Amino acid sequence: MIEETKLVDFLLEKGVDLLNEPLSGKLDDIYRLFIKFLETEETARGIGMADFVDTLNTLAEICPGAISTSCDSRPDSSWLHEYRLDSVNLELVGLMSHSLRGERITSVEMTNILAPTRGLDLGQRLRGILETNADDEIDTQLELLLGTKPASFALAKENARIILPQQAFIPNCNDPKHTSDLGSAAQIMNNKLIGFKLSKLSADEIKCMLSKIHYVPNLKPQTNIALGDCSYLDTCHKLGMCRYVHYLQYVPEALQQSVQHEVEKNNSKKLDSKRITFYTHGFCTSMASRMPLPAQWIQCDVRKFDFSVLGKFSVILADPAWNIHMNLPYGTCNDSELSQLPLDLLQDEGIMFLWVTGRAIEMGKNSLVKWGYEVCDEISWIKTNQLGRTIVTGRTGHWLNHSKEHLLVGIKGKAAWLNRQVDIDLIVSCARETSRKPDELYGMIERVVGPHARKLELFGRDHNTRAGWMTIGDQLQGSSIHELDVERKYERFLSHGFEKAPVVV
Amino acid sequence: MSTGKKAEDFDRRKRNISMKPATVSFMNDNSENYIQTNVMPQNLITNSQNQLEGYPKLQNLINLKEKHIAEYTTTPYGCRVDIDQMVPILHRWILKEKLTFDVIMIGALTDNQFIYPLLTQLPIDRLISKPGFLFIWGSAKKINELTKLMNNENWAKRFRKSEELVFIPVDRNSPFHPGISDNEESLFEKMQWHCWMCITGTVRRATDGHLIHCNIDTDLSVESGLTRNSAIPSHLYKVAENFSSATRRLHIIPARTGSETPVRARPGWVIMSPDILLNNFDCKRYRQEICKLGTHQPVKPEIEALRPRSPPSKK
Repeated sequence: MIEETKLVDFLLEKGVDLLNEPLSGKLDDIYRLFIKFLETEETARGIGMADFVDTLNTLAEICPGAISTSCDSRPDSSWLHEYRLDSVNLELVGLMSHSLRGERITSVEMTNILAPTRGLDLGQRLRGILETNADDEIDTQLELLLGTKPASFALAKENARIILPQQAFIPNCNDPKHTSDLGSAAQIMNNKLIGFKLSKLSADEIKCMLSKIHYVPNLKPQTNIALGDCSYLDTCHKLGMCRYVHYLQYVPEALQQSVQHEVEKNNSKKLDSKRITFYTHGFCTSMASRMPLPAQWIQCDVRKFDFSVLGKFSVILADPAWNIHMNLPYGTCNDSELSQLPLDLLQDEGIMFLWVTGRAIEMGKNSLVKWGYEVCDEISWIKTNQLGRTIVTGRTGHWLNHSKEHLLVGIKGKAAWLNRQVDIDLIVSCARETSRKPDELYGMIERVVGPHARKLELFGRDHNTRAGWMTIGDQLQGSSIHELDVERKYERFLSHGFEKAPVVV
Repeated sequence: MSTGKKAEDFDRRKRNISMKPATVSFMNDNSENYIQTNVMPQNLITNSQNQLEGYPKLQNLINLKEKHIAEYTTTPYGCRVDIDQMVPILHRWILKEKLTFDVIMIGALTDNQFIYPLLTQLPIDRLISKPGFLFIWGSAKKINELTKLMNNENWAKRFRKSEELVFIPVDRNSPFHPGISDNEESLFEKMQWHCWMCITGTVRRATDGHLIHCNIDTDLSVESGLTRNSAIPSHLYKVAENFSSATRRLHIIPARTGSETPVRARPGWVIMSPDILLNNFDCKRYRQEICKLGTHQPVKPEIEALRPRSPPSKK
């Protein structure tokens, strides 16, 4: 057996001479030289050529790049091999001699030793681990690769931008000085803004007023500015006596009209884009010429209605009045009337949006799964007040105040025709009457399924009816049906009744 | 805009016409605006820099609470351990060290968290005192997995899910932007993190003012843009601190957050994470400190006078 340290010492002593003439890296000769080197220490008994080559190879494995050997068949004989030493890196061999003797090498020493070496993979790797994160570059590349979205996302978004109707948008002014100055210059009568004493306003302020929405403090004799803003603002029922600050929206009529005019001009141009659209994923074949169906609705008790009257839909939207008894222990609420509804009949493939609050979040998820859906998104509606701020006061929740509501999205089947990820999973919109949901959602849904898909809203009210949608609910006024097959089945349902003779599809 | 130029001319009559207030109120569609302009709806929230804008009383209350909490707080503690060592160490804390915490937060705003395995392997009901408060943060998908716990009778008997919190990053460049994982099945681009707030034991919001203060924070936080680079925005800690008056708080992060997003120590919290910067936790020292400090902040009359209360019972 050869001690590795001896061999390393030998290599260090002889150095590059081993590679130069007359040895030229021939291992037979280097072996003899090594035996001679050892004999001075009387330890060379019984060491053969094979041991020597083995130990050299071990060293090459321990520290790749320090030494390298090769084996060629000799020109004078096909069965005898010639072993050669191809390279020796003295810095690395020196390093190895330290580490084989169990001495610790600091990163600084290592860097100093390794610094002059050129193109050595081990050196680079060691430095990479000690000094910098060598994986960083791979990470960034991987992230870039994974972060690149499918082209369909971008195309769908661009399509929505170019083809679907645009809406007027006026930004809010966020300068608190404008708010207080407008408050002192405003002329208000009967909680209505009449005009401003323009002499009290700067040219900059007037310019801003002509391009943005401002909220003007509606200061009354009882108002105490130090108290701050009313929690209810424009929905306050005690405007006559509330001592907190309320506001009136100020938008110049001319601005509103010009923005509206601009949007209408753009929207009429969109008809042309619709005719020549190159990306038609998820659209019906007569996208440009076909008008969406007029608003349809049926007044009925959703819980007792026969869903086979309605046919199949691409989208279902439901805002059920979850009736959860707070004193029931958890787990017993599962058997609610809602999850018993046969909503699985209404879609073969498509998406369902379900508004949930509090404990109904879990019930809603379970119900969706029961009806054959997979929960794919949870949209948050961030409720804002009149001033565009999130709602932070007013004890709106039991433990914490509630500033948002949840909308579960379930998907059934593959539904490859959907346009994905055009919108983000947030809605930022003003809270209106109790339980009235934001209209932004209708636009978002249209961007996913296209304007002509059949859409159904359950538990809807009059303000929910709109073109392209079928709305059903018990608070609607009467019925309005335009699809003849639905009308026929609905009449049959009315005359026979659900219990007696279920409608055959 | 032509109307703007007219105003600059200081032609009074024209200006009066152009400035006439509209009679119908105007509402923006922020979602449609995102399609047209790429400005994300959350950027149009007007109080994201200061949530309490317009409410001086609430601002005052929050300031008082912050001072009070800082007065009764332990040294910041970090406990740096590998993810697979967390459960054994917590077991030791329960059995040998007899440690309990009143507030336990689990998770951070990062992907690849091992929340569900941690919750199923750990007798968390023995680590948390009664009443105790649990906050679990993660991606909407990870939180959705927890629904399984709700259907598990053993868990549902001990913990009641009381609120669902949401954190929203400002945009795609935010350090808190949800990652790229599981995004392709979604119909909508992910822009939020979720949290379950669970309560164990009994607390009543009307009578237990020495233990909890309700309705101070909301179930939503929007990144303010002032947030320091960290795996956990301080707001997540503040919600828990403002809600419970307990001084024993533990935060477990069962994920590698990496060197880019460090986990910082925070006064009043023991933070267990593979990447916490500080590694100084010592059970004995912690117990002594809690002994001196007390397990709850004392009731402060100024805060009691200001905080939101339940209305007197109508029954």
